[in-house]
Amino acid sequence: MGMRRRVGGFVLLVNPILCDGFGHCAELAPDLVHVDEWGYPVIVTEPVPLANLAALESARYAVRGCPRQALRIERVSDPH
Amino acid sequence: MIALTSPYLWYTTRATGLVTMVLFTLVVSLGTLVANRVGGTTVGRFELNELHRTIASVAIVFLAIHIITTVADSFVATGPLAVVVPFVSPYKRLPVALGAIALDLMVAVWVSSLLKARVANASWRFIHWFSWLAYAIAIVHALLTGTDARHGVGLVIVLACLATVAGAAAWRFVARPTRAAGRTALSPLGVEPEPRGVQRDRAPTRPAPGPAVESSARDATPFPRRPQPRRHR
Repeated sequence: MGMRRRVGGFVLLVNPILCDGFGHCAELAPDLVHVDEWGYPVIVTEPVPLANLAALESARYAVRGCPRQALRIERVSDPH
Repeated sequence: MIALTSPYLWYTTRATGLVTMVLFTLVVSLGTLVANRVGGTTVGRFELNELHRTIASVAIVFLAIHIITTVADSFVATGPLAVVVPFVSPYKRLPVALGAIALDLMVAVWVSSLLKARVANASWRFIHWFSWLAYAIAIVHALLTGTDARHGVGLVIVLACLATVAGAAAWRFVARPTRAAGRTALSPLGVEPEPRGVQRDRAPTRPAPGPAVESSARDATPFPRRPQPRRHR
């Protein structure tokens, strides 16, 4: 998978002030985002390894697809 | 200046004008569907949003062809400045001016959407409201300028587009969705929240001797802290 080993992980973060509960993120990244009873996202909080390309791609789709621009991806360094 | 006297530029202008109008009708209607939280069961909400964005890109291409062929054609004298500046066209001053105003508004909406990640969301939304105005002005432009839009099939298409967007506007502004107005079908719970009208129904029919304060205080909580247990299975 490329020259450089992908180290560290990422978390998908939601800005709850901007979020209006459109629910697009849960459709685009179903492995990372669940929707609570009122339509707001509940996102997996523990970092996902960057090597998980499918998860990273779905997170990028969710960021791009959010009608309120309420999502962002934050990198976290490898804890070890 | 090359004498572009071929009639095909003029035909292209007229045809792309109609196609642009139909495409922007679709764009505005799809935007209304997204804003009103349609989808989630048979069609994904994100899919409607993607259609809204993609058809908008196609519509902008057709709009560009419509404008370029109008300016390049020598059959009518408009001039390149009349594309963006209102009231400078020798040909049909007011109708072409309306087209220029609509174009300026559409460019504002388009550029703000391209820069969506860098623009504050409140600003983006404020600019996006002007798409309604742009559409309305563009329809008047079509009716006043359109060679084909005043009779026959062309008029039918214009009126159908106008009726579609008028309906979408009415639906958007009457049925304003509240924040998070509805879970998608993908919600893991899929449980209807406790109906709010319970207290109103119960109070007159059953004058309960129990402590009324406790029940009313419980019913007055804005929303339950945890999902209520399902009664009907």
